[in-house]
Amino acid sequence: MTPVLNVSNLTTRFKSRERNKWITAVDDVSIQIGAGEIVGLVGESGCGKSSLGRTIVGLERQQQGHVVLDGTDLASLSGRALRERRRAIQYIFQDPYASLSEWQTVGETLTESFVIAQKVSPDQYDARATRLLDQVGLPTQMKDRFPRELSGGQRQRVAIARALAVEPSVLICDEPVSALDLSIRAQVMNLFLDLRRDLGLGILFIAHDLALVRQAATRVNVMYLGRIVEEGTSEQVHRHARHPYTRALLASVPQADPRIAARKGFVTLAGEIPSPVNPPSGCRFHTRCPLVQDICTRVPPPVQGEGGHRFACHFRFADEVLDQIHQGYVHAG
Amino acid sequence: MTTQNVVEVSDLSVDLLTKGGALRPVDRVSFAVGRGETLAVVGESGSGKTVMNFAPLGLMPVGVAVQISGSFRIGGVEIAGMAENRLRHIRGRSVGVIFQDPMSALNPLRRIGRQIAEVAERQRGLTTMQAERQAEDLLALVGMSDPAQRMKQYPHELSGGLRQRAMIASAIAGEPPLLIADEPTTALDVTIQAQILALLQSLQKKLNMGIVLITHDMGVVASMAHRVAVMYAGRIVEFGDVADVLVTPRHPYTLGLVNAIPREEDLSGSPFRGIPGLPPTMGAPVEACAFAPRCDVVMPVCRTRRPPLQALPQSSVLVACPVGIAQAGQRP
Repeated sequence: MTPVLNVSNLTTRFKSRERNKWITAVDDVSIQIGAGEIVGLVGESGCGKSSLGRTIVGLERQQQGHVVLDGTDLASLSGRALRERRRAIQYIFQDPYASLSEWQTVGETLTESFVIAQKVSPDQYDARATRLLDQVGLPTQMKDRFPRELSGGQRQRVAIARALAVEPSVLICDEPVSALDLSIRAQVMNLFLDLRRDLGLGILFIAHDLALVRQAATRVNVMYLGRIVEEGTSEQVHRHARHPYTRALLASVPQADPRIAARKGFVTLAGEIPSPVNPPSGCRFHTRCPLVQDICTRVPPPVQGEGGHRFACHFRFADEVLDQIHQGYVHAG
Repeated sequence: MTTQNVVEVSDLSVDLLTKGGALRPVDRVSFAVGRGETLAVVGESGSGKTVMNFAPLGLMPVGVAVQISGSFRIGGVEIAGMAENRLRHIRGRSVGVIFQDPMSALNPLRRIGRQIAEVAERQRGLTTMQAERQAEDLLALVGMSDPAQRMKQYPHELSGGLRQRAMIASAIAGEPPLLIADEPTTALDVTIQAQILALLQSLQKKLNMGIVLITHDMGVVASMAHRVAVMYAGRIVEFGDVADVLVTPRHPYTLGLVNAIPREEDLSGSPFRGIPGLPPTMGAPVEACAFAPRCDVVMPVCRTRRPPLQALPQSSVLVACPVGIAQAGQRP
């Protein structure tokens, strides 16, 4: 399958404000997304997952690497041609309260997108808006409403309709349901599943909720301090994770079944994600890794694995060893 | 029995007086929490879970006219309707409060150590030196490395997780028997969340505090709480031991919330389970079950009468649903 989006060796750096030093937010990251595929990207805040999404869509400038969309390397384009091509990648933000203009009705918001995209003729705007609203599960009357009159879930649906208005092939969804109530989350998640199937969209799903990603995505990438530390199918990453960080992340999620939760207690990973201004030497996870060895502090780990399941670690720990992380490894940080 | 409860709430209602008329975010709720016990309050935005705990403590946004009826007793003292100058002595001394956003609770212009010491001075009558020493001990207690150095830092110099720890330190500085925590880990990563929850649990053991934990995360409920109150549209619709309520939910809303949690056996790409319809918007109190429009087992009576919160036979559980009660009778 040719990916609709092929990101290779992408690197993004920022100038840090306080110390005027370079921060590598995204470090040599490669990700492929097929048409009709949802790819998950998980990690703690500060790991660079949003920076990666923002770089792909052009909100941040890349220093190195390639973003190839439907076979076209975006680096080969510039100016208007780049802007037009890039429109095929749409971004859905976490906060639908901030991403919609409060002065425009839903209909006006959609019309604006039609005008920019120039894919439908003006006499078709109204019919197209109706169809888009229907597609995201909103009634036609919503066209005359302002964002303030809508609930959080409805606003996120409008944001999705606006993204679809330019007929994109890729959606970058950055924590798209984190701000929504539990009972509404499922409705919006199911909308993403439908869009992927019905429109063949490729979706990069950025989230910190591992359970959500496991169910939505076919493939999952785990990011730590700018790098992908493990990638594989949803099943491989969630049931057979090989990187100690992935294990620790999974073990940190509190279990909703009190029979399991009472037995398990809290599995705590030591400390916090280090500053990217001064990343640790060797394996960047070594300062928090419960299984750290001497080599990890000095040498960056190789990427190993097979069958599409890859992880960046010096070791290939046995399941019994990795399982100890789940069984309540407490590290005095 | 009653003397052991750190907080006792009965028939509490909160009305907000607005231009558009009176809204009732909290409608006749009752609960109690004992020493060393954690009660989780779950519900969606607008369910009243925060207002229920914050309005009686005088912690509502400035300019909101609030009317409280019923009783909210902390350590036997009635605080419903208490004047602000008296409430000030209750907050910090009788009850510590942890907010979702530590930046809204910490003063950005003052050093961490001073802010915590101030609570100890005011609430426990310590001298400045004693209080400073106490603050340093508290920072160590909440797991901050190099507490002497942290004392001198400002909130913006700390990460989200450390700020949350600093706020917890200031909340327990007055050694209150009750801690109210409003979504204390919602803004944090799962790894830091685990650290903070473990910290709250160990502090509870050490200080024998009662905790009211306001959350929407069933994982947090299951790992932290002894009992749980499920709120919908300002009312408690189900109440009981966590092991009962989460394993065998009786109210259709609780059932929907529990079912909405992704499970291990859910395959990649399989549909998500949710609750159809929209959460209710706050309004005047209704004489019906507020969940009726979204309920798949709704009965005619649900649309005309508010279902009372009733105890199930031989169970810790109270449920406000005739269907839930009837089903419990069929399979005890």
